[in-house]
Amino acid sequence: MKLLLIPAAVLALSASAVTAADDPIAVRQALMQANAGAAGLSGAMLKGELDYNPAVAKAAIATFNAVASSYGHYFPEGSEGNGETTASPKIWEDMAGFQEAVGKFETDAAGAVEASGKDGPADLDTFKAAVGPVLGNCKSCHESFRVQDN
Amino acid sequence: MLRTLAAALGIIMILGGATLWLLTAPRSLDAAVLAEAPDGDAARGERVFWTAGCTSCHARPRAEGEAVLELAGGLELKTAFGTFVAPNISQHERDGIGGWSFADFANSMLRGVSPGGSHLYPAFPYASYARMDLSDVADLYAFMRTLPAVEGRPGGHSLDFPYNIRRGIGVWKLLNLHPEPVVALADDAPEAVRRGRYLVEGPGHCGECHTPRNRLGGSILAQWLAGAVAAEGDGIVPNITGGEGGIADWSHNDIAYYLESGFTPDFDSVGGAMVAVQKNTARLPAEDLAAIAAYLKAAPPHPNGYPARRPATQ
Repeated sequence: MKLLLIPAAVLALSASAVTAADDPIAVRQALMQANAGAAGLSGAMLKGELDYNPAVAKAAIATFNAVASSYGHYFPEGSEGNGETTASPKIWEDMAGFQEAVGKFETDAAGAVEASGKDGPADLDTFKAAVGPVLGNCKSCHESFRVQDN
Repeated sequence: MLRTLAAALGIIMILGGATLWLLTAPRSLDAAVLAEAPDGDAARGERVFWTAGCTSCHARPRAEGEAVLELAGGLELKTAFGTFVAPNISQHERDGIGGWSFADFANSMLRGVSPGGSHLYPAFPYASYARMDLSDVADLYAFMRTLPAVEGRPGGHSLDFPYNIRRGIGVWKLLNLHPEPVVALADDAPEAVRRGRYLVEGPGHCGECHTPRNRLGGSILAQWLAGAVAAEGDGIVPNITGGEGGIADWSHNDIAYYLESGFTPDFDSVGGAMVAVQKNTARLPAEDLAAIAAYLKAAPPHPNGYPARRPATQ
């Protein structure tokens, strides 16, 4: 079941290309779904629910990297969402702070790509070291910039 | 005749007023109870400290690393009653609680009474802490004595009338300060569920945010842990019972893993005010996280205690 997350993440990424121009909310939601897919996959391997596989680990890291390098572009003025999304108004009140948080995510994801090499991280511990800092961004960004929901 | 009636009414009102005055007086712990308190152990107290989450409100806002042990205060809680400002509870003699005796500390934790003998606002969650064992309070006191003294006092609360009248808290206490457990357990309930009840209802004070409140700011126990509109009005605090909208589909391990890692079973992450809480729960021993999970799975299910959600998710 968790294996289904890989195509789901990839599909979510390709879907984002289609609607990019006219609907930033749809794009950023698709990007975040891709993130969730990659996080689910990473988590399943970290928890031992899924056997570790370097190629799968590399795909997850690549997904984080693609999301990180594009996510910050989809929060223009006027896309606040009228309270119908969980994007917090604080994003627009503190755009510099938000972009800084996205920038940190980008740096950490790029570092993980670097660490994963041509064939992906060789073993689970290497993967854990590479992806851990990337996953840390979920909390820190959701602490400030998402309307509280869990 | 009329004059007699008026006099009688006057006497009744004075008596009623006097009774209310007495009933709403701050009540400290008996000296006899305090005398039975064991000596605190700082090492055990550290575990109580992370369970009780002192640092989530009393560290400087956004403190990281070792700075979470500097309890300088300053966090603002903007609520429907006004703005509460977390005070300095570091060991500073003048600005913090460095000058407090154990009796002072225990009275604040278990009775919501300050060393000067006045009511503390229940933004400090003593309605939950009142369920703590005196020995845990003693351990916590011993641990907090080891923390740094930090100079400086944040500003005071800024509350709307009538909430700015401290004596009114006495009425709130009559209605809401009940140290007995919320969830009744069978005599043969597993030890983990019992331990979890203590952690969740007492030091962990989960119900303070996860249970909806009535207009007077009292927890609605009939909807215990059913989720609530966030006190600060930004979003919701989720239902953590097994009822509709809650966590019936989370396993024991899912709950424990969330408290340890900050990730839900779907690998969504913890957010908002819970981030600071989860940083504390990440420091708890596995058996305590398992106990919390066991209790949450055993507690009565309720449907969501907050209005229907908005449709989108991101």
